[in-house]
Amino acid sequence: MFQFNSFRTRLLVFLVSLLGLVLSAVFFSVNQANISNARLHIEDALRITAGTFAKTLKDRENILTDKVRLLSGDFAFKSAFATRDAETIRSALENHRQRVGANIMLLLTMDGETIAETTPTDGITDPASLSDLLNLAMNSQYHEASAIQVINGQAFQMVAVPLFTPQPSAWILIGFVIDNALALELREFTHSEVSLLYQGKQAPWQVIATTLGEDIALQLNDPVITDEQASTGVYDVELDNEVYLSLALSVQKSDVGAGVAILQRSLDAALLPYLRLRTLMLILFGIGLILSVIGAAMIARGLSSPIELLVKAAQRIEEGDYSEGVDIQRKDEIGTLATSVNNMVEGLAERDKVQNLLGKVISREVADELLSKDIELGGEEQEVTMLFSDVRNFTSLCEGQSPGEILNLLNRYLTHMSKPVEDHKGIVDKYIGDAIMALFGAPIHHPDSPQRALNCGLQMLSELKNFNAILMAEGRQPLAIGIGINTAVVVAGNMGSINRLNYTVIGDGVNLASRLEALTKRYGVEMMVAQATRDRCPDFSFRELDLVKVKGKDDPVAIYEPISATGSLSAKTRACLDRYHEAIRLYRDQQWDAAENIFSRLITEDTDRPIYHLYLARVAEFRRNPPPVDWDNVVVFNEK
Amino acid sequence: MTSIKSALTLAGAVVLLFFAVSSSAATLHATVTADGKGQLVNAVVYAIPKTGLSAAQKEAAKKAINQIDKEFVPSVSVFQTGTDVEFPNQDNIRHHVYSFSDAKTFEIPLYKGVPADPVKFDQPGVVNLGCNIHDWMTAHVLITDTPYFGISNTEGNVVLNDLPVGDYNVYVWHPQQSADTESTSQQVVLHENDDVSLSFTVQEKKQWVPFRAPTRASGSY
Repeated sequence: MFQFNSFRTRLLVFLVSLLGLVLSAVFFSVNQANISNARLHIEDALRITAGTFAKTLKDRENILTDKVRLLSGDFAFKSAFATRDAETIRSALENHRQRVGANIMLLLTMDGETIAETTPTDGITDPASLSDLLNLAMNSQYHEASAIQVINGQAFQMVAVPLFTPQPSAWILIGFVIDNALALELREFTHSEVSLLYQGKQAPWQVIATTLGEDIALQLNDPVITDEQASTGVYDVELDNEVYLSLALSVQKSDVGAGVAILQRSLDAALLPYLRLRTLMLILFGIGLILSVIGAAMIARGLSSPIELLVKAAQRIEEGDYSEGVDIQRKDEIGTLATSVNNMVEGLAERDKVQNLLGKVISREVADELLSKDIELGGEEQEVTMLFSDVRNFTSLCEGQSPGEILNLLNRYLTHMSKPVEDHKGIVDKYIGDAIMALFGAPIHHPDSPQRALNCGLQMLSELKNFNAILMAEGRQPLAIGIGINTAVVVAGNMGSINRLNYTVIGDGVNLASRLEALTKRYGVEMMVAQATRDRCPDFSFRELDLVKVKGKDDPVAIYEPISATGSLSAKTRACLDRYHEAIRLYRDQQWDAAENIFSRLITEDTDRPIYHLYLARVAEFRRNPPPVDWDNVVVFNEK
Repeated sequence: MTSIKSALTLAGAVVLLFFAVSSSAATLHATVTADGKGQLVNAVVYAIPKTGLSAAQKEAAKKAINQIDKEFVPSVSVFQTGTDVEFPNQDNIRHHVYSFSDAKTFEIPLYKGVPADPVKFDQPGVVNLGCNIHDWMTAHVLITDTPYFGISNTEGNVVLNDLPVGDYNVYVWHPQQSADTESTSQQVVLHENDDVSLSFTVQEKKQWVPFRAPTRASGSY
């Protein structure tokens, strides 16, 4: 389960991070683009506005100057001036002040002494404060000047024009108030915050008009204005927690004083439409993220639940349960996989079935061998140890019994006898009625196959004792068996037709093993091995039985009865064995008496073995009919 | 202005002595230069006998200052006190000549041709003339009691002929002069058939020209 969760989690994490990454990238780039775009936009706008603004101020100045010019050319005013009557002059001045809509008006002598003054408040202006403006006018082309100037704490756009009668005879000075109303008016067409700052001689900067709140505008003071800022571009000012892109524009730089206009646009305000878009974007991103999480979870679930089913199916297969496949009806890759798994289950079940069957019909090793490679006819020569066993007098045992009972008994017997073969890594080549043909060293070669075959035979004998005990408990007769073993190079392989074949071995050596099994009864032993097998079991002790020539073989073969591992022989057994072999030697040397003597004594001193009697009978026979001169000790058996 | 007044006072005091001076004549050549700028045109040079002036020396003839092509012609004039001056308008538009000067305040409202009555400049002094409807039109008139005066030509030369023999104070006046006329006066003694040359240097002040808006062609209104 954890795996699936982990898969789901990983898919989720992957999708969410991917989407998150992409969305973040989109968001940040859009954000950046918008902000820098807004900045660019503002900067452009400010620059354009600055140009217009400067021109507007200049225009305004020109308009004001024009008004004053008209005044200075007014003949009635000249006439009034010519009267030299102060009250008349002042009154005319007031009349003209109202006519041009000015806020302050003064008439000064050419030397700068006040002749008359008119202001709404009748404030008294110190004429000395105007000397710089007059100097400026004096030195200009038409002896006119205009400048921003603060008089009695109030900022004015002052215009000075000489009065010609027709020779220059006085200065007319007219002032127009500069205040927030003007700034607001300028804001109307610049769409920017406008602040005008003024610096008189040796005085600090002061805000004389602004569209910002006074307290905010105060923050613009002094340190903000540098020549660099006034000439180069746009800079940021943070006012009241709001970022303003600002552009400082020098509007006056003269002896009268310095004036700077600061145009500002709020970045936040410019970003306002975008901020709404950004909120919308964030919401959309959020929705997208949630939907993708849900989608990913569904996809993960759609993947993980069939995978879960597939895993369970795979686990069943692992446990060897091919009873059911996996039920997934899909047309995608998962569906294909499920179909494949189902096919695999069927295939495995089929194969398992075959293997089981094969294992039962033929030896498991052979079955494996057959299943592991392509089945083909033909074989290869190799050394194999063949074991044949047979139940003695089985036919007579079967008399009076039903075939069912016989088969039952046989099956039980064969089951018992087959186990030692498997235990010693041999294979049951075939059952021939009550006989068993087992192979050691084929199809898989083992160097100790002869020894194993020998051990197998011994175990079969001991198994037989157990089985006999069971049989006797059932009230049945015990069974006696004979075992013949031979080791020889034979042909091992698949034999038969292409459609029906057996794995088996073929060769003289096979026949010899079979013959030996048949001979056990004759020599009164349960097990008999050929010389070749004996030679390959050096740590085992054997009793040499005879030299025989069996049917179908020209060469005589020494046959032996296996006794036990040499190491486990008792001294007495060893001694008896040695004496026996001595007797055999004497027998073959035709020293009948000596041989007879030993055989006879062994009957009493050792166990009473049929072989002793066999040789005593032979000695007696040879005494009566001595062997021929070319006697080679070989006993010839012509029957099968 | 103060200098002129004192000069006139002096002239008035010696007017009765005028006939005592010999009737034989002398010539005075004066060259006026602007300080550092060479010859000065339109400078008035006038000579006042130390012995005073006689009434017989008054000129009776009318004088005129024309308005031609929206300018006063001449732009600088010098008249003896009591001279009647006409202001013939040669243009086909009206002019409005005025003066707020102390020596003569007058006004000839919009008129064409020659006004019926000439203006009598009956006090010595400087009279600045303007035109009410053409701000740039200015003319300067020096009114002086003496009949001995001249205006410098483009070479800055003034010739005063037929000056009676005697002692004179010779003055120079220019509308743009910055210095006192009195301070630049020179004394000269003229004898029979003398031909005296004098040099004057005038400190010129900057000329103030009223603003005249640029037009399609100069003088079109």
